[in-house]
Amino acid sequence: MFDLIVDAIPLAIVASTPLLLAVQGELVLQRSGIINLGIEGMMLVAAMTSVLAAQASGSVILGFFGGILGAMFIAALFGLFALFFQADQIVTGTAINLFAVGLTSFVYRELQPSGIFLRALPRLTTDAMLPLAWIVFPIALALLLWNTTFGLRLRACGENPEAVASHVTSHRAIALALEAILAGLAGAYLALAISSGFAENMTAGRGFIALSIVIFGRWKFKGALIGTTIFGLAAALQYALQAASQGVPFHLMLALPYVVTLLILCGVAGRVRAPESLGRR
Amino acid sequence: MKRLLFPLLAALSAIVLLALAASAFGHSPRALFGILVSGSVGSRFALEGTLLKSVPLLLTGLCVAIAFRAGVWNIGAEGQFIVGALAALLASPYGVVASLLAAMLAGAAWASLATAMRLWRNAPEVLTTILLNFTAVHLLGWCVNGPLRERAAQYPQTDEAAAALPVLGGLHAGVFVAIAASVIGWWLLYRTAEGLRLRATGFNPFAAEWAGVNVRAQLARAMAISGAAAGLAGGIELLGVTHRLFERFASGYGYAGIAVALLAQLHPLAIIVSAFFFGALATGAGDLQRTANISAAVATFGQAVVILLLLAFDHLRARHVRSDR
Amino acid sequence: MLRLAHIVKTFGATRAVDDVSLDVREGEILAVVGENGAGKTTLMRIGAGELAPDSGSIDQTGRVELVHQHFLLVNELTIAENLALTTSRFRFATRRTLEREAAATIAATGIELPDVARRVGDLSVGEKAKLELIKAISRNPSTLILDEPTAVLTPYESEELFRVMRALAGQGKAIVFITHKLPEVFAVATRIALLRSGQMVFETLTADATPESLAAAMLQSPLPVRGETARTKGRITAILGVAGNGQSSLARSLLATHPEAAHIPEDRTRDGVIADMTIAENLALKSRRWSPREAAHRAKQLIAQYSIRAHSPHQRAGDLSGGNQQKVILARELDRKPNRIVAAEPTRGLDLESTRFVHEQLRAAAGNGAEITLITSDLDEAFALADTIHVIYRGKLSEPMTRDEATGRVANLMAGVE
Repeated sequence: MFDLIVDAIPLAIVASTPLLLAVQGELVLQRSGIINLGIEGMMLVAAMTSVLAAQASGSVILGFFGGILGAMFIAALFGLFALFFQADQIVTGTAINLFAVGLTSFVYRELQPSGIFLRALPRLTTDAMLPLAWIVFPIALALLLWNTTFGLRLRACGENPEAVASHVTSHRAIALALEAILAGLAGAYLALAISSGFAENMTAGRGFIALSIVIFGRWKFKGALIGTTIFGLAAALQYALQAASQGVPFHLMLALPYVVTLLILCGVAGRVRAPESLGRR
Repeated sequence: MKRLLFPLLAALSAIVLLALAASAFGHSPRALFGILVSGSVGSRFALEGTLLKSVPLLLTGLCVAIAFRAGVWNIGAEGQFIVGALAALLASPYGVVASLLAAMLAGAAWASLATAMRLWRNAPEVLTTILLNFTAVHLLGWCVNGPLRERAAQYPQTDEAAAALPVLGGLHAGVFVAIAASVIGWWLLYRTAEGLRLRATGFNPFAAEWAGVNVRAQLARAMAISGAAAGLAGGIELLGVTHRLFERFASGYGYAGIAVALLAQLHPLAIIVSAFFFGALATGAGDLQRTANISAAVATFGQAVVILLLLAFDHLRARHVRSDR
Repeated sequence: MLRLAHIVKTFGATRAVDDVSLDVREGEILAVVGENGAGKTTLMRIGAGELAPDSGSIDQTGRVELVHQHFLLVNELTIAENLALTTSRFRFATRRTLEREAAATIAATGIELPDVARRVGDLSVGEKAKLELIKAISRNPSTLILDEPTAVLTPYESEELFRVMRALAGQGKAIVFITHKLPEVFAVATRIALLRSGQMVFETLTADATPESLAAAMLQSPLPVRGETARTKGRITAILGVAGNGQSSLARSLLATHPEAAHIPEDRTRDGVIADMTIAENLALKSRRWSPREAAHRAKQLIAQYSIRAHSPHQRAGDLSGGNQQKVILARELDRKPNRIVAAEPTRGLDLESTRFVHEQLRAAAGNGAEITLITSDLDEAFALADTIHVIYRGKLSEPMTRDEATGRVANLMAGVE
């Protein structure tokens, strides 16, 4: 059993990479005081646009750019409501998710006759995303947030926006754009590298799991890495159990990620302090 | 008047936007609009279909409205709907009433899991309720593939429930239960001290606490009532419409409830109208998929657009008020 | 340095500033004096460019900085980080760099605020006020406007502030400070401008005015003399102190031990009224039953009894003025004839008439036998109402004093010197 788990770890790391990217994006945004429940929809749209872009161009790299563009589109919509209309962020995020599900399902059916979702995708030859997601991004973003004046103001936006009034909208918009890049990469990686294609509702709650890990990690990159790792290990355990096909039924196993996330939330949430004005209008 | 104007405007604009979106993919907006109308209210059959779809939407909408009124983010109607149906199935040998009661209890209990995590571990209910949705979906998947699978073991579905709602003139009795529920919801919110305190908690928990409301208990009760409504929706859907459970049983009724509640401005009586609108949209969208091969997901898209338009109107109104000062 | 000419500003139906002209000169300390609601803050926000006037013109040389009455600080960040927020350049900077720069900035202002690595949330209120002042000075303004700067300061901290103000004026800056405390005016100002109901009443050099003449001009109708009828039953105990010395936890524990007590919360918009509910609903919150018709009927009576200015019991409580919101709370709390009342800052931010009304109601409740604990930072209020005065400092209560005993000692006790 132990061997099976160890064998499953590389697979689990790959499988949790989109999650880690999303966690980092949401972390940056929440530090600025905005909570984006719509990250789920952002990833879903990115997954679709990345496949479309990769098929149209025949290039995986352009596929990733397509994913970022798709996420940017959703981010613009979210930003319009949450930043400029100052609408409730939870309601906006929920609407964005419905929007993304509706939109992708609609487009999926419309484009089905063209066969674009059936053709084999161009292969991903070198997986640069792993070192980027697990090493480069966390270090770069942590430096940005804690060792620059921009990061200082961004965090102040999350604590007391009144204190940095003239910067709030611009800084939050930049944070949202950063999130869109990361969520776009996450969606694209999910579709192009892990699932080799788009399927309806393929993000399967990864956005919400990402939000939970942000809380678990106490809005810090170290915590985000630890949280995602724990989650990855649970995934490895799941694969190992499946491989061993011991006792636990397959369908219950599918519920495991969500139950693990619930436990993670309950395990630490009681002791954490969120950015002071997170989610406030 | 203004309270009616904006929701009406949002609903109409959403339909127009849907038609425009479809025309971008080469469909005729007029044909699409025609199918939407004829497929939802154009015939007795269509109207019955719409009413049947409105029932679960009404109850999940009520679920969301009560929770939002109390200031709790119950995004978990989908999961509460599923466990409600599961409980209804298990209790169906004891009759319809017992079965629906079990559905409400199960929905309340599932919602209360989120309350417990909130009150004891400070885990935000907006996330826990969503995660509980996914958990419920896979729990249902396991049930219909495993312990509750039909005896014939042919499809991943359960046997028919041992009880069924009586049918009156083509419609199951759940229609009346749902309408009664929204009246009770209105009475609870606006005619009882419980409702007064529930709304006070939602508007301003600090002031409510100082005014002697036990805010934690109030939240717990609101969440349980809210969950019971969604559970009841699941029970009625099982006993009145599907009679069996299968993997995609819930199919988004819970999330749609958010749009239903918001369009009704969280008012239990207005939810009857709002649920009918979204019921018609969903039924019409089903017809679109069958006859014009346009994804029925446009109904989901429509829900999103309605919510976003309402938010935009809110913004315009707020700006208007501000410029008055 | 700053010249305001014929400024007019209206909010809804009220004219907050009504054709006011004011000239602020180099090297002077100008006190802008007036009661709550006289338009002082509005005028100065216009001067600082935060609000646009409806009409009138503003001329300025150099920068104008306004230090707000409430803090614009980030509690989670350190002193150094808060100071770094004032610039908008992008650059890399470690904590250490920011701290070094902050220490230099503070030293240049001549204000004492040691250990810049401290979290702002851990600072005393007085220290936070100093930090706000440092932030403003570090932007090198030619005109510095301070809005009620001494409201949260102990008498000794106020003295320190006055020293800094004099030094800045000595460097040729123009200082404006908004206040309604007359002793301060005579302690530090070189010139006085008096506002009443949005209009400029007069300007004068401090040397040409006396506290008596100023007080008379400030109040159109003076408050009743503070002496009161002898009470046999009931008592008013004042807990006096500068804000942030443990008053809120004291109120909380008092209410925990006496859950039946009536409560007038300090922060009435957050803890008092529910803005989105109607007056009738707000009034009914503490009653056991709820029926809309009965509640409306009862609300009508209370609206008349407490002279709440509202056109209907179904009006949204949030649309009432601050004074009328406070009356709604009073009506809800006092209508039950409570034996015990905990009133925290019951008149903060209220106009004269409402203040007087609140005081009368509290006296009447005491006359009916209620035990009242009055938590306040307003010396005048404590002396006007209380039979017994305690001073609270850093969460500790002094022994009880009569008004006469308290007169000489409160300043020291509030500063924690004694």
